[in-house]
Amino acid sequence: MFDIIAVDISGRHKENGQYLMVCAAVAASITAHHVEKVNQINIRSFRSKNAPDVPMVVKMIEDTISGLDFTGTIVTEAGDMYNKPQWLINSMFQGKFKYQESLGERRCIEIAHHVSLSSRKLLLKEQNV
Amino acid sequence: MKNAILVKRNDPRSDGESNDRQLLELKHLADSAGYNVIAEMTQTRHPGRKYQVGRGKVDELAELVQENNADKIIFYNQLSTTQIYNISETCSCQVMDKFQLILEIFATRATTARSKLQVELARLEYELPKAKTIVSLLKKEERPGFMGLGGYEDSYERDIKGRISRIKKELKSMEKDSVSLREHRQSMGFSLVTLAGYTNAGKSTLFNALVEENTTVKDMLFTTLVPTTRFLKVMGRDVLLTDTVGFIEDLPHWMVDAFRSTLNEIFLADIVLLTVDSSEPLESIRNKLLVCHETMWDELLDAAIVTVFNKADKITAEELYERISGLGYLAPNPVAVSAKTAFGLDMLKDELRKHLPKWERTSIVLPMNEEGMSMVSWLFDRAVVHNIVYSENIEIDLEAMDRIINKALILSSKYLDDN
Repeated sequence: MFDIIAVDISGRHKENGQYLMVCAAVAASITAHHVEKVNQINIRSFRSKNAPDVPMVVKMIEDTISGLDFTGTIVTEAGDMYNKPQWLINSMFQGKFKYQESLGERRCIEIAHHVSLSSRKLLLKEQNV
Repeated sequence: MKNAILVKRNDPRSDGESNDRQLLELKHLADSAGYNVIAEMTQTRHPGRKYQVGRGKVDELAELVQENNADKIIFYNQLSTTQIYNISETCSCQVMDKFQLILEIFATRATTARSKLQVELARLEYELPKAKTIVSLLKKEERPGFMGLGGYEDSYERDIKGRISRIKKELKSMEKDSVSLREHRQSMGFSLVTLAGYTNAGKSTLFNALVEENTTVKDMLFTTLVPTTRFLKVMGRDVLLTDTVGFIEDLPHWMVDAFRSTLNEIFLADIVLLTVDSSEPLESIRNKLLVCHETMWDELLDAAIVTVFNKADKITAEELYERISGLGYLAPNPVAVSAKTAFGLDMLKDELRKHLPKWERTSIVLPMNEEGMSMVSWLFDRAVVHNIVYSENIEIDLEAMDRIINKALILSSKYLDDN
């Protein structure tokens, strides 16, 4: 089993003149093709007037995973880091970092995606109320 | 044999090794399609809008075509219709990209009605977004309709859309047949095991070794295009093993869609035997496993995966250990096998047996009459009978799926109630 923290960010597009982004970090133990146990989930919201660049995305992810009591390799989709080479992004994080590869990692990122997307929807709904 | 020149544009700052591997794969694909590769050309630059590669490189290519009498230019990179038109005008030679090459291979090897329809669908879906440009390029000088206000574009596009929907309908009805066949097989007590993996990983050789069959095996990409299913006995359990078409890097989504009914064999299996060629370098195996995970991940339900490190006879034990341990995070339940020398086949069967859907083991008492005997014969077909004792009644110790046991229990409880 491998310990990973799968991260996904929703809302990287401008809406009502600002970017409302929700970052979800899922701490899980996985095998190559299954998510064995989800240990913890943390979500954080971020607002920005400008589109996020790579250092900002890294900061958002670091902020979100700092709320977790878990150590593991940070895993994201390559698109989240603007398809920059893995070695470059790896050097920007404090812990280990890699892009998604196995079925287990992809499934874990899918969970993070659903969490961040639904929390963002909830935030927008609350705002409108 | 037609002569072909291979061209690849590499992205600046991209990995040199993977560029070489991709060009080698294109060469293998061209070989599979029956082309004689006479020259290769690469250029490192950002994609050009007019020719994909630079203007000077295209002139160089035109000279090379004339010198070598080439019949085709094959690009690794995906080309737009305008790029194909521009390059073929400059070089006076037919131009195609990797996807068209794959389609050509599929088209020449498609034998069944279903695979022919799949190839046609893939070709049409590839052509659809280009339909308007194709017509406007071909009819550049012509202005159709009254005062040149009409257009060919829409009618051609509509025609393609119509054909696509007709083929999809036909494929859907064919798929229904295979779904009901699959359900029927499962209800008969068969477990479905599918061989999946990168193209040329040795899936068909492994298939032949496991079921002692003679499907076509070649050291070539895309030898298998139509799934073949054969019966296999794994330690008392009946299994249907299916050999499928291999995966390839950068296979576009429309193509995956077109071959969905073929890939469904993988997605709906109980166990997937993910086959890799262990004689290749570690990085190459990793890349190929990545492609497999990427193709399967969204569709694969709760199938178990057994990773088969095939062609183990080609490397030493240390190298094999290095590959299996190094790829642990991508290769669940690894088994080393050589389909050629039959090494490790028993271990593979052991691993298969471990992951087959769980069957319940129970003892049932049946009446010693015609009805009871016919039930016994039915059970022998669908269950693993561990022990059977014939006395006043029939005591049978068996292992089967719930549905089969329930059916036998109905007869058993009726008999026990009567007595």
